[in-house]
Amino acid sequence: MTTVLHVTDLTVDFGSATAVDGVGFELAAGDTLGIVGESGSGKSTTALALLRMLPPGGRISAGSVRLAGQDLATLPEEALRALRGRRIAMVFQDPMSSLNPVLTIGRQLDEALRAHGTGLRKAQRHARAAELLDLVGIPDAAGRLRDHPHQFSGGQRQRIMIALALAHDAEVLVADEPTTALDPTVQQQILRLLTRINRETGTALVVISHDLGVITQTCRRLLVMRDGRVVERGATAEVLSNPQHPYTRELLAAVPRLDEPSRAAANSTPGEQPLLTVRGLGKTYGTRRRSVTALHGVDLDLHPGETLGLVGESGSGKSTLARALVGAHAPSAGSIRFRGQELGRRPRREVQLVFQDPYSSLNPRMTAGQIIAEPLIAHGLGDRERRAARVAELLGQVGLDPATAGRHPRAFSGGQRQRLGIARALAPEPSVLICDEPVSALDVSVQAQVIDLLARLQRELGLAILFIAHDLAVVRQVSHRIAVMHGGRIVETGPADRVVTAPEHPYTAELLAAVPRLEPALAGPADSARATALASNRSTA
Amino acid sequence: MTTATLTLKSPRVRGRHLSGLLTWRGLTGLALVGAVALAGLLAPLLTDTDPNAQGPLALAGPSADHPFGTDDLGRDLYSRVLHGIGTDLTLILTAVPIGALLGCSAALLAATSRWADLAVQRAFDLLLAFPGLILGLAVTAVLGPGRWPVVIVIALAEIPGFGRQLRAGILVQREREYALAARVGGSSPARVLLRHVLPNAVDPLVVQTAVALSLGVFIEGAMSFLGLGVRPPEPTLGSILSQSVAYLTTDPAFAAAPLAATTALVLGFTLIAEALNRGIRR
Repeated sequence: MTTVLHVTDLTVDFGSATAVDGVGFELAAGDTLGIVGESGSGKSTTALALLRMLPPGGRISAGSVRLAGQDLATLPEEALRALRGRRIAMVFQDPMSSLNPVLTIGRQLDEALRAHGTGLRKAQRHARAAELLDLVGIPDAAGRLRDHPHQFSGGQRQRIMIALALAHDAEVLVADEPTTALDPTVQQQILRLLTRINRETGTALVVISHDLGVITQTCRRLLVMRDGRVVERGATAEVLSNPQHPYTRELLAAVPRLDEPSRAAANSTPGEQPLLTVRGLGKTYGTRRRSVTALHGVDLDLHPGETLGLVGESGSGKSTLARALVGAHAPSAGSIRFRGQELGRRPRREVQLVFQDPYSSLNPRMTAGQIIAEPLIAHGLGDRERRAARVAELLGQVGLDPATAGRHPRAFSGGQRQRLGIARALAPEPSVLICDEPVSALDVSVQAQVIDLLARLQRELGLAILFIAHDLAVVRQVSHRIAVMHGGRIVETGPADRVVTAPEHPYTAELLAAVPRLEPALAGPADSARATALASNRSTA
Repeated sequence: MTTATLTLKSPRVRGRHLSGLLTWRGLTGLALVGAVALAGLLAPLLTDTDPNAQGPLALAGPSADHPFGTDDLGRDLYSRVLHGIGTDLTLILTAVPIGALLGCSAALLAATSRWADLAVQRAFDLLLAFPGLILGLAVTAVLGPGRWPVVIVIALAEIPGFGRQLRAGILVQREREYALAARVGGSSPARVLLRHVLPNAVDPLVVQTAVALSLGVFIEGAMSFLGLGVRPPEPTLGSILSQSVAYLTTDPAFAAAPLAATTALVLGFTLIAEALNRGIRR
């Protein structure tokens, strides 16, 4: 096979800091390569450096990126622009903001086709645009060219982004976290699409992801990056079954596996009497004429010392339920009882919330100590001295140094910030902790630490935890029971292991099938037929 | 990368303002405003000529006795401009904080309920619908010319700017998760607003203040120019400019000094505003 992309000793500096340090790889025509790493490993910077699209301040200080004999690292800007999109193309993470909202899809494809002066006439470009949309699996492609981006779902928009990248039959397609913003079932479709395009058009694929599962599903070879360096490389199956570098082993060990049984029972035994009882909970947004129902009669029981996992895709009503439980908004129907008593609209000391985003959920103007003390002040617990002592105790409890109470949130890392968020939620001594995607924004290794912390807190304090997440593997690991949410309803509830191994509801089965596994199983013909069926099902939804 | 924003540790907020000011824009603005303000403050030391004393020499050009020349009544322009700067700065430094305080209070009131928001917004609309000049004429018609009408007109004109700016900031910050976290933690709505939301929403107001100051110089000039401002013979930059217009063709030197001082102030404040804006947006 001929080599299309040859990267040697690529080094990228931001000021005095080195983001990418001597990365090198070869990509043969039609090959697939995955780059995996945690945040700050330099994988995205590597991707941007391939097309020399580094953000301001970054520059390639050494090495070369040879694409069919030309060095992209030193090519004049003018010549480089002629190559971008034509021979090497890129797909970005966020399909919502990558398409121009005021232009039709047809216009945007037309523009991409015109960009390199292919000399096609208008009618030919139109036909080619329809062909591209068809290639990426948009139903009724020719008819949809006149539609605007908002008329497509998130997964379809990512398909359109891929169509745009393929406009000139680029030899290399670089996909930077192509599915991170998408739900698991949609992610599965996009990964299958990338694999199919690689197989059918022979486009070489570079996939960048923090998720080993995503790489495993799409790439034959992979690089593991850490702190700007490649620590391990090789065939995907080999690296996964026999990792050489300790970091790769650590990374693999931290990835939650769907086939591992729940560890919750060993951690704590749930009590008999339910602590939190939810009956017929409904929530409707908007005006009477244009209303959106986020929750349809949700029933839920949470026992003391129990972890109830709640899974579902975006828009299924998980967060609305969490917010109703902590009293952030009033439900339109139904009841929430705590120890048999109806909870009113006043603040609930006993039910506290841990947020998904450890960055936006901490007030940047306050110190860690002030943030944790805030609920104590609000509930009038203790005086100044007692509060300071409690803050120190809480910081110790979540594994942070009490001496850090005077620091601002920005001085903490993502995982440490999530610990701060947990400490804040624990401050008023709640008996129920609602965790809304508490680990989704964290790297896998940090994710494992936070999960361990929650398990320890449950063991020590007998907390009831409602653990909301979209990652079924994580949920199975931590939960006693799992509830599956879909379209504002709970469609299935049961013991964690049973729900994963023998799902009763078809939607649960669909969710389970979409979890990217670590066995490198490239989609067979039966699989892809199923994917197409799924795709047509979901595009109507 | 998914988490590219993670590594962007924002520098201290005060540091961002400072780093904004320490650019060529900010430094030029500070130098201009500083020079003019210093001249106004030190007026009694820099000259012992009474700004209102009339002399026999009318419309004289610059000389050793009268560095900027004299006006049509033979008054020393050097002294008048320096004292005029002092008057101007006193007026706008009284009016802008009053306007800012009223505007911000209105914005906080608007944040309490939907009805309050509606009322406050319509009140802002009403103020904005009045062109500045009509507002000036209306206030002066009631109170007569003098210092207070100028202060009131400037303050009124600044209220909607500050109010809208803060309201927008509050609306954005109130939807952030830390505000929800405070609410879930049991904080009262007033505490959430004042302790959590407000400190995070005031950043743009620093820029707004610099813009308001330049606008204040402008409004004072316009009012004095039309004879609605501070009563003569007390000098202000606007009134000296207004006098000089009649002699623009014969004695252009008359207008030079007040014009330079006004321009330096407005330009300086605008540059500072722009520098601060770039600083906090970085």
